Amino acid sequence: MEDKGEGAAFKKETVNKLLSLFFKDEKTRVSSDALILMAEMLKVFVQEAAERSVKQAVTEDSESVDIDHFEKILPQLLLDF
Amino acid sequence: RFMQTQRLRAAVHYTVGLLCREVGEQSDVQFSRQSIAALAETTFRQGDTFAKDLEAFARHAKRTTVNAEDVKLLARRSTALHKYITRRSEELMSSNQ
Repeated sequence: MEDKGEGAAFKKETVNKLLSLFFKDEKTRVSSDALILMAEMLKVFVQEAAERSVKQAVTEDSESVDIDHFEKILPQLLLDF
Repeated sequence: RFMQTQRLRAAVHYTVGLLCREVGEQSDVQFSRQSIAALAETTFRQGDTFAKDLEAFARHAKRTTVNAEDVKLLARRSTALHKYITRRSEELMSSNQ
């Protein structure tokens, strides 16, 4: 969960469109700071999912992360977010 | 509208793919296409949950604009995540001044 904004990241514009798509009220807006934080939050979510999946794959002595590894870590991941 | 949603899905899928590759490289493990697709779809749907919560938090404070405080509330469930988001939020605040 430590990083300095290097490597892959979600674009602010993508995050804005994603959130806006799901708002019930079309008047709802997101501040610039909140967008940056949400991009971070989504990144942490994906990294956490990826890391837990890798751990599961390694535990099962697999060289690749397959869908069943991801499915095993999914319930706890969703509880944590 | 449908096309826009599909484009958004593709954008999320792309970034999820990059992030998975970065994480996988550290352990010399590759992600299958389906596992990336499943994670991308989960992320997309998590966006739904996040958006509805943020909107409710803002509305609760009688605002129509979601701000950093709402995001901090969203991250409250995990202590480590909450600390991380709070620190990033403070960094943003100080750079805005």
